[in-house]
Amino acid sequence: MAESFHAAHDKRPDSARNSWRATLKSRIVVAAVGLFLWSTAIEARLIYLQVYRHADLIGRAERQQLRTIASSGKRGEIRDRRGHVLAYSVDADSIYAVPTEIADPGKAAAALCRALDDCSSADLQSLSDRIRRGRAFAYVRRQVTPDQARRVADLQLEGIGFMKENRRFYPNKELAAHLLGYVGLDNTGLAGIEATYDNLIKGHAGTVLIQTDAKRHAFSRVERPSTTGADLDLTIDEYLQHIAERELKAGVEYAGAEGGSAVVMDPFTGEILALASYPTFNPNAYRDFHDDDRRNRAIQDLYEPGSTFKIVTASAALEQKILKPGDYVDTNPGVIRFGSRVVDEDKHHNYGVLSFTDVIVRSSNVGAIKVGLRVGAQRMGIYARRFGFGRPMSPDFPSESPGILWDPAKQTDSALASMSMGYQVAVTPLQMATAISAIANGGELLQPRVVRAVTRDGTRKAVPRKVVARAIDRETSAEVTAIMEAVVERGTGQSAEIDGYTIAGKTGTAQKVENGRYSATDYNVSFVGFVPSRKPAFTIVVVVDSPHKVPPYGATVAAPIFKRMAAAVLQQYGVPPSINPAPPVLAVRRDVDDGHQQPTSTAGMPPSIVTVDSGAPGKDALFPDLTGLSARDALRMLARLGMTPRLNGAGIVVRQIPEAGAPIDRETAATLWLQRQIAATP
Amino acid sequence: MSGEFEYAIKKDVRNNPIVREVDRERHAEMWRSVGVGVFLVAVLLFSAWQHFELLRHGYRIEEMQKERSAEEEINRHLRLEIETLRSPARIERLATGRLGMVAPAPGDATVIERVTTTPPPPKSVVARR
Repeated sequence: MAESFHAAHDKRPDSARNSWRATLKSRIVVAAVGLFLWSTAIEARLIYLQVYRHADLIGRAERQQLRTIASSGKRGEIRDRRGHVLAYSVDADSIYAVPTEIADPGKAAAALCRALDDCSSADLQSLSDRIRRGRAFAYVRRQVTPDQARRVADLQLEGIGFMKENRRFYPNKELAAHLLGYVGLDNTGLAGIEATYDNLIKGHAGTVLIQTDAKRHAFSRVERPSTTGADLDLTIDEYLQHIAERELKAGVEYAGAEGGSAVVMDPFTGEILALASYPTFNPNAYRDFHDDDRRNRAIQDLYEPGSTFKIVTASAALEQKILKPGDYVDTNPGVIRFGSRVVDEDKHHNYGVLSFTDVIVRSSNVGAIKVGLRVGAQRMGIYARRFGFGRPMSPDFPSESPGILWDPAKQTDSALASMSMGYQVAVTPLQMATAISAIANGGELLQPRVVRAVTRDGTRKAVPRKVVARAIDRETSAEVTAIMEAVVERGTGQSAEIDGYTIAGKTGTAQKVENGRYSATDYNVSFVGFVPSRKPAFTIVVVVDSPHKVPPYGATVAAPIFKRMAAAVLQQYGVPPSINPAPPVLAVRRDVDDGHQQPTSTAGMPPSIVTVDSGAPGKDALFPDLTGLSARDALRMLARLGMTPRLNGAGIVVRQIPEAGAPIDRETAATLWLQRQIAATP
Repeated sequence: MSGEFEYAIKKDVRNNPIVREVDRERHAEMWRSVGVGVFLVAVLLFSAWQHFELLRHGYRIEEMQKERSAEEEINRHLRLEIETLRSPARIERLATGRLGMVAPAPGDATVIERVTTTPPPPKSVVARR
């Protein structure tokens, strides 16, 4: 109807009216064909890309969009017995070059060297050569300091990049360096505890798969996290270690010696509290030091102990009931012969007839030999082994020397004589400290150890005390202790005496073997002992190698070092004097629900140590007695309880609300009254 | 009048507004289509929004991861610095050198023994005696 209506009103001729339709139709057809071809081409291209080149393009896309970064596992911490960090890992920048992107290698190397600030001409040449080789990657310098990294970054050189690597730091530098060891560039322990426990401390590397956009901005990641290695708590006390190293260094330098070592041990647990070796090195820059400096003399160096070994001879004689301390030994005429070999006393003395105690007190060689000959090679060998000589003692030191002991069956009288006075046996300072600890603790040979606990994944596993064997019985131990006390009181060890303390000790002086002969000039001098002798807290062994500036004796070189070391550690640990001790100052530990209080020996107001809780399991915490505390300590206590403090006045706390023993209500404030002067106690 | 009828049909042109009857079925169908369409568009938009949010948060998380790593590393460096500063050798050097301090003589130090209260013996022990 509409068409006929339009046709009726269209005045144009039919041909004209149909031509535009044909044109439109043909154009539409053309457009449709074009569109079809265009879409076919697109789809063909899509099929080509999505099907035929699928794998190739996926690979390219992944290479462009995905980055796999290896995240290195951090090594665990090494701490001392008080939790102070001795070895710690942080990320450090390593600088690398992409030589293909560097236009002028010589110029770039020169600029880098200037920025690093410590380049020698050889370093510059080596760096320049590495860049010139034109490989895809070359290290410029690994694990640089933050300052060096910043200076190099400021250069904004083409083809120079940075990557993070884990680096081990030793914040105390030389402290306990020989014990801790060091770690190589690849994060592997190379010496000391770092090497022994490398598998335990070393973390495991992880990977991070990062998805990036066209501008290389990351927006997604899949992570296999790296793991941090186990933390080690050592038995070492940082401060005692410092004291041992300080005194050893002072003693070695004073004596003009080649070196020395010292071991401080807890005689009842076998825990090594300090282990010093001099000369020392800085493990942060271990490559700058000579191998000799890095050698742990306390566990690697063998020495003939000399007269300190007479303690073993004496122990064997006493325990086998061959002699009693008061029995006499004739040392006349001051020499003893074994064929052509003549052994005499120090400075050609003739001590005459001595009690067995005095044989040790005066360190008579002839007397010790005569005792040793009576003990016999077999029993001497047994006791030497019982004291731990001739074998490595600690699993913490794989590089420990086992020492040298003669086979008793092959031992001649001359060799037995030498052994009786500490020659022809070779021991380490650690072995000697272990043996002396056995005497100090009543006869138990304990395994010396330096690892106190291992903490892994939040679980702390303590290393237990281990008794290796019983070296001697308690009675023998007490008798040997008395003899060693006499050595310090009136014998060769008097220079180790400390006012107020009883000390059991023994000096030792032995000629060094050089080129197969005993040297006339070089000696190993030593002092071994424990203090206080009747309630031992520390076993200390000091060995000094080849002193030249002072007479080379244990009494003149090693004993004074022992004395200074012992005095400092006793003071540090607050060990009270054992001879005429001053009346103790007692501090009451007041348990609030105890109902009774310990009387104190001091008049007036005693300082009080307060307890936070009632101490009884299952009971609610009670408010502590803060009287007598300084404002700072009281505030610290209140902060621990989570209470708000209000202070009136200054000085120490004289009054408090809530009262001591009241239930703790954390909603209320605690009011404390402080005064400078305490009112006199009536 | 002949027998033939002539019909004159009057064309009745009504200009009245045409009232179309509402086809409720088609109406409902239309709304359903619109609804489905809106739903699909909404799903599409929501999906796109999710995708872009995911990307945005991905960037943000990456940024925060970097920040966290950097902060952790700063923390480790600071801890290292603290441990370096509290080295006994350094403190002793400062104390004796710069501050002129000396180690206390043996008599200068007083050892304070801490006494823990001894619980009274249990009655059963007393009774056995």
